[in-house]
Amino acid sequence: MTATVQTAPGMAAPVSKSLWALGWQRLKRNKVGFISLWVVSVYLLIALGGWFNVVGGNWLNEIAVPYAPPSWVGASGADVMPADAYDASGVESSAPIVTLARQEDPIGKELTEAEKDAGRYKVEEVKKRESLPFGADLRGRDVLQKTLKGTSTSIFVGIFGAVLALLIGTTLGAVSGYFGGKIDDLLTWFYSVFTSVPDMLLLLSFAAVSGRGITTIIMVMALTSWTGTYRLVRAEYLKLKSREYVQAASAIGASHSRRMFVHILPNISHLLLVQFSLMTVALIKYEAILSFLGFGVGVRQVSLGSMLAEAPSELVQGYWWQMLAVTIAMSILVTAFSLLVDALRDALDPKVK
Amino acid sequence: MTQDNLLSIRNLKVNFRLESGERFEALKGISFDIPKHRTVALVGESGSGKSVTSMAIMQLLPSNNTEVDPASEILFNGKNLLTLTGSELRAMRGKDVAMIFQEPMSSLNPVFTVGDQIAETLMLHAGLGRSAAKKRVVELLTEVGLPDPAKKAGAYPHQLSGGQQQRVMIAMAIACEPKLLIADEPTTALDVTIQKQILELIAKLQKKHGMSVLFITHDLGVVGEFADDVVVMRHGVIRETGTVKQIFDAPKDAYTKALLNCRPHLDRRPMRLAVIDDFLREGGYVEPAERQRGYLPDDEIILDVQGLGKSFESREGLFGKHVFHAVKDVSFKLARGKTLGIVGESGSGKTTVGLTLVRLHEATAGKALFHGKDILSMSPREFQDYKRRIQIIFQNPYASLNPRFTVGQILTEPMMLHDIGTNQHERLQMARELLERVGLPENAMFKYPHEFSGGQRQRIAIARCLTMKPELLICDESVSALDVSVQAQVLNLLQDLQDEYQLSYLFISHDLAVVKHISDQVMVMNKGEVVEQADADDIYLRPKQDYTRRLLSSIPQGWVNEAIVAA
Amino acid sequence: MSAYIIRRILQMIPTLFGVMLLVFTLFTLVGGDPTYILAGKHLTAEVLANLRAQLGLDKTLPEQFMIFVRQVLTLDFGTSWSTQQPVSDIISTRIGPSLTLTGSMMIVDLLIAIPLAAAVAYFRGGLTDRIVTIACTVAMSISALVYIIAGQYFLAYRMEMFPVRGWGDSLLTNLLVYVPLPLLMGLMVSLGPDIRFYRSFFLEEMNHDYVRTARAKGLSEKTVMLKHVLRNAMIPVVTTVMMSLPFLMIGALVLESFFGIPGMGNEVVMAVNKSDFPVIKAVTIYIALATMLFNLLADLVYKLIDPRVQLK
Repeated sequence: MTATVQTAPGMAAPVSKSLWALGWQRLKRNKVGFISLWVVSVYLLIALGGWFNVVGGNWLNEIAVPYAPPSWVGASGADVMPADAYDASGVESSAPIVTLARQEDPIGKELTEAEKDAGRYKVEEVKKRESLPFGADLRGRDVLQKTLKGTSTSIFVGIFGAVLALLIGTTLGAVSGYFGGKIDDLLTWFYSVFTSVPDMLLLLSFAAVSGRGITTIIMVMALTSWTGTYRLVRAEYLKLKSREYVQAASAIGASHSRRMFVHILPNISHLLLVQFSLMTVALIKYEAILSFLGFGVGVRQVSLGSMLAEAPSELVQGYWWQMLAVTIAMSILVTAFSLLVDALRDALDPKVK
Repeated sequence: MTQDNLLSIRNLKVNFRLESGERFEALKGISFDIPKHRTVALVGESGSGKSVTSMAIMQLLPSNNTEVDPASEILFNGKNLLTLTGSELRAMRGKDVAMIFQEPMSSLNPVFTVGDQIAETLMLHAGLGRSAAKKRVVELLTEVGLPDPAKKAGAYPHQLSGGQQQRVMIAMAIACEPKLLIADEPTTALDVTIQKQILELIAKLQKKHGMSVLFITHDLGVVGEFADDVVVMRHGVIRETGTVKQIFDAPKDAYTKALLNCRPHLDRRPMRLAVIDDFLREGGYVEPAERQRGYLPDDEIILDVQGLGKSFESREGLFGKHVFHAVKDVSFKLARGKTLGIVGESGSGKTTVGLTLVRLHEATAGKALFHGKDILSMSPREFQDYKRRIQIIFQNPYASLNPRFTVGQILTEPMMLHDIGTNQHERLQMARELLERVGLPENAMFKYPHEFSGGQRQRIAIARCLTMKPELLICDESVSALDVSVQAQVLNLLQDLQDEYQLSYLFISHDLAVVKHISDQVMVMNKGEVVEQADADDIYLRPKQDYTRRLLSSIPQGWVNEAIVAA
Repeated sequence: MSAYIIRRILQMIPTLFGVMLLVFTLFTLVGGDPTYILAGKHLTAEVLANLRAQLGLDKTLPEQFMIFVRQVLTLDFGTSWSTQQPVSDIISTRIGPSLTLTGSMMIVDLLIAIPLAAAVAYFRGGLTDRIVTIACTVAMSISALVYIIAGQYFLAYRMEMFPVRGWGDSLLTNLLVYVPLPLLMGLMVSLGPDIRFYRSFFLEEMNHDYVRTARAKGLSEKTVMLKHVLRNAMIPVVTTVMMSLPFLMIGALVLESFFGIPGMGNEVVMAVNKSDFPVIKAVTIYIALATMLFNLLADLVYKLIDPRVQLK
């Protein structure tokens, strides 16, 4: 196995490959995995673009008539609400948003502020469009822009939540598994407390006490989903600390922290990468449910979940495009991510060589 | 060799498709016969294709990446096994041809009783009913010498010892009176005394049932005592075929000769062990002079261990504790430039002794005076300086190097930790010199451990220890996982290094021949206690304890006739 | 054995204490003052003070915690802050619908997922395997919300095959009329991951040496699979299922709120929204207790089905 795919065997001098390089080579051989990697990369770019408002930055602009249908459907696609049903210049508009009617008082203030804010954007608006590439929502915002921005938010929530959870889980798991004894007892107790309460209940409780917003969601998700990583990392450290190369490191005089982070950690990095991808997918899905239940992103933010929250009432009226857009965006993202996880798992498995 | 052949392999070619798309030729067209009622030993080192051959006979090779050349034939009683249909094949497996494997523990299904697993074969092939099969199971277990067979039939595999598990596997294999028994390294995972019992059992059953046996092993030593014919394989080709007498008395092939001489012998101790290259190059091999071993009165003692003990505690019952004494009251002295060998079977505590001396386990009793200072009672900080002077090499060359470090990083890390060398450049230079010293090319510096073979990795591990210029090297089964030819090379290297740097070795092994070869003094351990301790030659020629005698008599003696002559 | 059980039960005490601490910290320290929400429009200082006294919020934190401890020990969590109903009444009426839905969902899920997973593992690498695996991955990628929204809209609202939402009084009506649609939606969500999960158990077992021994005996591939592999693969399956049992109690949150099922999930969402501390406390403690008991039970079952396990 010295020859790579591209170089003909015997031609090039054998180049040494680290385990990562070998894994990368195997990943490239896996077509499905490699395509997934590209799809995920595109999504990550969108997420990055969304973060810096390069992509989907104008999603708040109400550029079309309410529920303007997708241009490829035609105006007859649905019974469009009269355009004047919504007061365009309304500073004191009474928020006739059907989907938000169920919201409780505490966010009322934010809501009106959002209206004001949105109003400011609209002043420059001249003519409302009758149709948009992927239609418009209740307030005439471009569904495409909204989906891009929402995807970006969801990915960021997923990634940052996963990074944070991974950080907590890995640190605690490493300490617990490596040192054992009293500190392990304490951390395992901590772990069993968190796992004794169902995730969803914990998520909701955390979300309920700490208000809304992207930061909150990320914190909440990290605090509830570190347990899986903890268990994994603890078990790995328990196993690897008695591996001969770690014992050898101890014998040559490497300190505890050197053994923990220089010797053991790189050897579970492939597992952490898989765990990270898995968790990102899970958190993107969780975010959708949280936002849907009203514990998600703030009113002036949009995520795939908050868009889905608008879907039921739209659907009943026959406006299906927002839901379709979200479903497509999310399904492709999650499918690609899941296939990538599978491919990574195969490619980085040290057993196959 | 004109008797009836039970099995004839003709031009067997097997390729494996690798993930990268390349093909690996595991068997390059081999041919040999297994005559009726005879035992054929298939001998080879790792990668020789010996196990692939046995799997090919049973057709147990993974179908998704194996290609068997269509022109190949495996004739069993004249019928080509390679062209059998699925049901014909199943009727053959377990009935005409049965097989036992290397790891009895994992080869038995953990959730069924051993009785059920044997009965399954009987019900399948002999058409016995459940109760008849049960009765037969007890008979079979009695035949393979399992104590209390009626009760043991209801036991689960994990409740039996390794030797007992292998007896169960044998009972399962002979249940339907197979004509051919394939034994794939059946004793490799077992202790030497158990190995002897299992070998004797297979030999006895072979005679009694008139079976043919295909015995696959890496150890030419075990072959001599009971095989009729020997087939020597290397790299997927057969090097030599002959009767046991021919192979042992007048080997023709250089590789066979090398195999016979690479392994340390109990009755002689050359300055250097023979290695394969000695035989493959022109001029042949000339046996070097004998090496004298043993402690001398004016030897400088560098390590004096007194009453070393190590116990482990585990929980039992509600508040109870169970204390297990892994090592009890072990004392020995080790001189500069000399080797103390510690031999024992699994569970003897020999490895624990080594680990407590580098403080990978904390000893629970006793002292270990290294140059007069007790290294066991030192604070970790104080001991840090001693880590440089006492080093350890582990058994498994695949697990003892960090897979994510390059060889360069592996070698410079200890120097960096102990401030050896003034800068990285100097350290790299020293690392390169050491690599050369242990016989590896310079470009190995930038490679990762997975690119090396087992023997090469062990050399890297040795080089890592040498970076710190230690005085005492603990070799914990350091050559046990290596092929015999590689083992000889590494033993020679260790010997050269001792001669050159006056290193002291604590050489821990289950292999008595290897220990005899390399040690000045030998300590025999059993169940955590020292059985006997004496100069190497003394202990082998004049063992004082029963246990030592039993161990020595279990060592495979090579060919029987030779053993008689020696005795 | 009994020593093991006693020790495990003793170990539950610190865990339960931890859960109490977590819940208490979360709602009493981090969470805001619930009296503002409860007081609603009559927001005067007097009303607030009254409410505080009524709820025991005027006491010091250690005192409040001691009250909580007493509640846990007696399993009496007082009355709901928002509806004034006794908490025990709420839980006892809500748990039935939840278990009806989640219980039936789990049974159907296992009945479909395990045979399918075994079959797929049997044909590993083949076309069936690939199709099912990809189908599972795609099915998993769609948000649960989409299934529910679309399912409710098309199957119930448009095609009128099921009631859009609601719940009846008798178990039979519920099972036949109200459960099928949420059950179907739940399965859409759970089957994908479960099949893949169980498949991995089967595949893992098939790599073991004893499978080779079984083949060398001359057993057919079917016997190898259905006897040797299945029996071993069921060990992790059973433990996973055992561990998930307590979570059935909390019900399917989203399904319940969507289909108007008066279960625990619905109650929890409402309680969290209204900071109804007594209800959340009670639900959390009950589920934590159940989790610990079922973990112990899972270990005992584990011992029963895996002869290698020794409980020490």
